[in-house]
Amino acid sequence: MRNSSPMVEAFAVASGKGGTGKTTSALALGMALAADHDVTVVDADTGMANLLFHAGLDDASTTLHDLLIEEEGSAVEDAVYERFGMKVVPCGTELAAFRAADPERLRDVVAELAADTDVLLLDSPAALGSKSAVLPVVLADRTVIVLQPTIPALSDGLKVQEYARSYGTETAGTLFNRVRDEAGIERVAERAERYFGGETLGVIPESDAARAARTAGEPLLAHAPDAPASRAFREAAKRLDVRDGASGSGDVADRFRSAVVPEEV
Amino acid sequence: MRIPRGDLLRSRVVDDPATTLSTALDRRLTGYAVFEPQDAILLDDETRGVLTFEAGIPTLAYCTDTDRGGADALNDLAGPGPYSVDLYELDRADLAEAHEADDLRVPPGLPAERLAADRDLVTRTREAAPEERLGDDADAVATFLEDEAGIEAIREQARAEARARAEEWGLTDALDD
Repeated sequence: MRNSSPMVEAFAVASGKGGTGKTTSALALGMALAADHDVTVVDADTGMANLLFHAGLDDASTTLHDLLIEEEGSAVEDAVYERFGMKVVPCGTELAAFRAADPERLRDVVAELAADTDVLLLDSPAALGSKSAVLPVVLADRTVIVLQPTIPALSDGLKVQEYARSYGTETAGTLFNRVRDEAGIERVAERAERYFGGETLGVIPESDAARAARTAGEPLLAHAPDAPASRAFREAAKRLDVRDGASGSGDVADRFRSAVVPEEV
Repeated sequence: MRIPRGDLLRSRVVDDPATTLSTALDRRLTGYAVFEPQDAILLDDETRGVLTFEAGIPTLAYCTDTDRGGADALNDLAGPGPYSVDLYELDRADLAEAHEADDLRVPPGLPAERLAADRDLVTRTREAAPEERLGDDADAVATFLEDEAGIEAIREQARAEARARAEEWGLTDALDD
């Protein structure tokens, strides 16, 4: 544990809607931020994990699921993989493991990971209908909301923002991903800024490279570093001002352990 | 908005406007529906909303009470229901003149979104809509974002839902008061 450098901020990378490219975004921001920070990306979408496919970790022997099942007795570090200049914690895809997992244990896992990193990115579920889906935005210091310029994606993004805010988790900024109509997006982004916290971090063009990267099992920024979408993600990461979410509250691990859910009574 | 009287297909009270929108879509109806919120009937109010369809796809919206059109008209009409609804069929030619009024137009999926919050119906409607009706996506999205009251309603509902569920999941102590 590296308590000498307690600066850490945990971001939930969230979107209310599937298909917005949330996992691609989480890994792209992670890789870009890894140039200046120690970054850990966690697949907190425990019900529909897919980060492992994006990061070439299909055969990972220990995953977040193992950490969330008490009887497994796995150590957090067993599920941490050094990939592409960052630390990656994949989640398994087995339904049985998801059922056996105790979502509340995520708090302890995040607390332990937070003690040894600068930036924690939680790839969050594209849903709000269960405790395990909401916990990442409960635990995070701030959210990055991944949007598409469509009415359903914006409505769902607004909902995620309100859920997160209900738990005191403010919006760090928004990303418009998979944008096709580059002419119309300006108007949309400008208007959306009135309702979303933070700023528009980036407008990421729709990209065949993102699909190819996923097939190759590599993050977009590793697979096609010069693609327009990759450049846009790097710019977005620069706009994200990483703060110390713990400011003044002492030990980071304690912050996550105590900030959240009370013990069962 | 001037529309010739059409052939009355059905007249009924519905709890959810999705019923009517879905009927129009499934029948590929060209015509219009007149929505009258039931609370308006009780209050002896004159609130009526007219929504026109082309081959089942919502085209124009107008609220008689507020004299507003488009997305505004849908907001004026949106409520808890039930609604008294009359559904009429008309020839396409009879709607042509009214359909020139661009300021009354609504994006195909917006009535299902606003009146019924039925995401599946929004998707079904958009899938059935002709390409040229979907081409103005940026316009539709910008219009959606212009509607501050509508956005606030979404946020308000999400806040209430978040609190209710926090209780259900034992997360109330984590709420930020």
